[in-house]
Amino acid sequence: MKETPLSNCERRFLLRAIEEKKRLDGRQTYDYRNIKISFGTDYGCCIVELGKTRVLGQVSCELVSPKLNRATEGILFFNLELSQMAAPAFEPGRQSDLLVKLNRLLERCLRNSKCIDTESLCVVAGEKVWQIRVDLHLLNHDGNIIDAASIAAIVALCHFRRPDVSVQGDEITLYALEERDPVPLSIHHMPICISFAFFQQGTYLLVDPNEREERVMDGLLVIAMNKHREICTIQSSGGIMLLQDQVLRCSKIAGVKVAEITELILKALENDKRVRKEGGKFGFAESIANQRITAFKMEKAPVDTSDVEEKAEEIIAEADPPSEAVSKPVLWTPGTAQIGEGIESSWGDLEEEEEEEEGGSDEVTILDSVKMETEDPSAGNHISDDAPIVLSDSEEDEIIILEPGENPKKTRTQANSKPEKVSSKKAVRKKKKKKPAN
Amino acid sequence: MAMEIRLPVARQRLPESLDRDTQKHLVVPGDTITTDTGFMRGHGTYMGDEKLIASVAGSVERVNKLICVKALKTRYNGEVGDIVVGRITEVQQKRWKVETNSRLDSVLLLSSMNLPGGELRRRSAEDELAMRDFLREGDLISAEVQAVFSDGAVSLHTRSLKYGKLGQGVLVQVSPSLVKRQKTHFHDLPCGASVILGNNGFIWIYPTPEQREEEAGGFIANLEPVPLSDREVISRLRNCIVSLVAQKMMLFDTSLLYCYEASLSHQIKDILKPEIMEEIVMETRQRLLEQEG
Repeated sequence: MKETPLSNCERRFLLRAIEEKKRLDGRQTYDYRNIKISFGTDYGCCIVELGKTRVLGQVSCELVSPKLNRATEGILFFNLELSQMAAPAFEPGRQSDLLVKLNRLLERCLRNSKCIDTESLCVVAGEKVWQIRVDLHLLNHDGNIIDAASIAAIVALCHFRRPDVSVQGDEITLYALEERDPVPLSIHHMPICISFAFFQQGTYLLVDPNEREERVMDGLLVIAMNKHREICTIQSSGGIMLLQDQVLRCSKIAGVKVAEITELILKALENDKRVRKEGGKFGFAESIANQRITAFKMEKAPVDTSDVEEKAEEIIAEADPPSEAVSKPVLWTPGTAQIGEGIESSWGDLEEEEEEEEGGSDEVTILDSVKMETEDPSAGNHISDDAPIVLSDSEEDEIIILEPGENPKKTRTQANSKPEKVSSKKAVRKKKKKKPAN
Repeated sequence: MAMEIRLPVARQRLPESLDRDTQKHLVVPGDTITTDTGFMRGHGTYMGDEKLIASVAGSVERVNKLICVKALKTRYNGEVGDIVVGRITEVQQKRWKVETNSRLDSVLLLSSMNLPGGELRRRSAEDELAMRDFLREGDLISAEVQAVFSDGAVSLHTRSLKYGKLGQGVLVQVSPSLVKRQKTHFHDLPCGASVILGNNGFIWIYPTPEQREEEAGGFIANLEPVPLSDREVISRLRNCIVSLVAQKMMLFDTSLLYCYEASLSHQIKDILKPEIMEEIVMETRQRLLEQEG
């Protein structure tokens, strides 16, 4: 499916917000989204979530003959796939440009940086070497695929265990997982890609752009670095012209970010190792919570509550005190009814089912009556504390209505929640049924 | 600062009196429509195992011997003479590609567009180079369907002063099946705004221009600030459209007007709440039934 074009006003809105140093999700310029790493039951399988962007990484190995010109080195193979569920625009035939670009960047980042010791993957020189294959699948696209993919790749590689081999003369013994514990790969360092998006010809910069920001960006700078502050790959795309100090500044920011992310990765790997050793439950079934469509759940958003007290005091000081004549709720004891004034009767519209349906709409009526009071401009505090007027069914009491003007309005609001227009008489009858306890 | 908390409530069923008199035959893909082989199959149906089976989800319509299924949610299928509102996605050599919520992008040829000033001449190379000055990517236009190609792509034209680039206003995207076919799709509503009900489901609400500018030909965008009262009317109309669409009512000028009048007693932002939406649309439905019968 073709991507729906971004409207002009949305584009302008995003650019204007970026000029004012505001991002739609409330992040600061250099903030990353929440990174969540979860591991599967097999070694080498992980899912990385960068905000809503999700990448699944899986590492597998196989014994093959080595390349002719590199007889003593193992083979690394990287593959990133943009699954169709990631975005409607990803279709089997259509993604070539983006796909090629991402794959090349990933290869340069991981292969050329020599983060994995390929010599250690050699079993018999010239005959048998390990071929390590990293498959990455993009499950959801919400911007910044390359960062998420690089994190997933390196986490999967660190997590992976290959079967143990021993060579005796000409014999190679490959031990199964049950016979001998699998061996981790030898990884020198962990290169991680950090993306910087540029707007307005390089004037504004954002780290970790999300999908909307990517659509309006002018250019992208990707720096792959490890925690020892060594740059493994650097790539600038989009045709923007960057100044030297901008690039240096980005590399400094990348250094900080990489340190944080590396710490997160090591912690996640530690956790998983500990859980496995202790015999606890591990795997996606444990780490990825059941997401029910019918449950209302929002991610926790950090709220700055440092100045809440001052603001509250300001509001209280400036607000008018609640007026004395706030409407008092009129309640009927069971057995009483009230006949309104001036509204024509519609006895003919009597229908039985409507009264039964009232039971479910209790909440709605309550909300409506609360709302009506909220809309009173004078009210500071919304629910009045005055004692409700109770109309009893004793014939001796004179029924005093303090605010005759209020009542017809009240009955009508209560009736508003019902689907059809109701006369006050009918509404009253229904109210009788619904509020026995009041 | 007031905070409003709402709990989910089960939706209430329509009372029988307000349902439509004719029972609609609703089908989903795979449902058998009829086993009678005497019918001709129209859009949305196919023959399988000697029975007529529906291929889309919608209501069955029968005209004499022709059975077709009108889908509820579909892409826009162009027909000659329709008014559409579209967004320019590409500027190509002698034409623009317009996105109209259909399966293929629609085409607006340079020769189908009025030159400013209303001249009639052959389009020259300078005109081609100046295409981007007229319409660029992201602009909204209103146009009429001139022809439909064999693959379903639609060719548009703006050969009248009432079509052309759209200026300030609000776009609402709905399903094309909800826009009723009428004689005219340009309405000046008495509440103070004008609306273009595009057949492709794109509805454009804009402030009524004071006087019609004859010379402009629809290319000069009016960028004067719109007064607050007009903006409020437009926002209210937009919310009304959203509530009508949520209740699956057909959109035409009368239903829009009735819905607007029914919503006047609520605040603009309250119209989007489900219970108020139901109430407003119920009133609209009632008034429309009264008007018919």
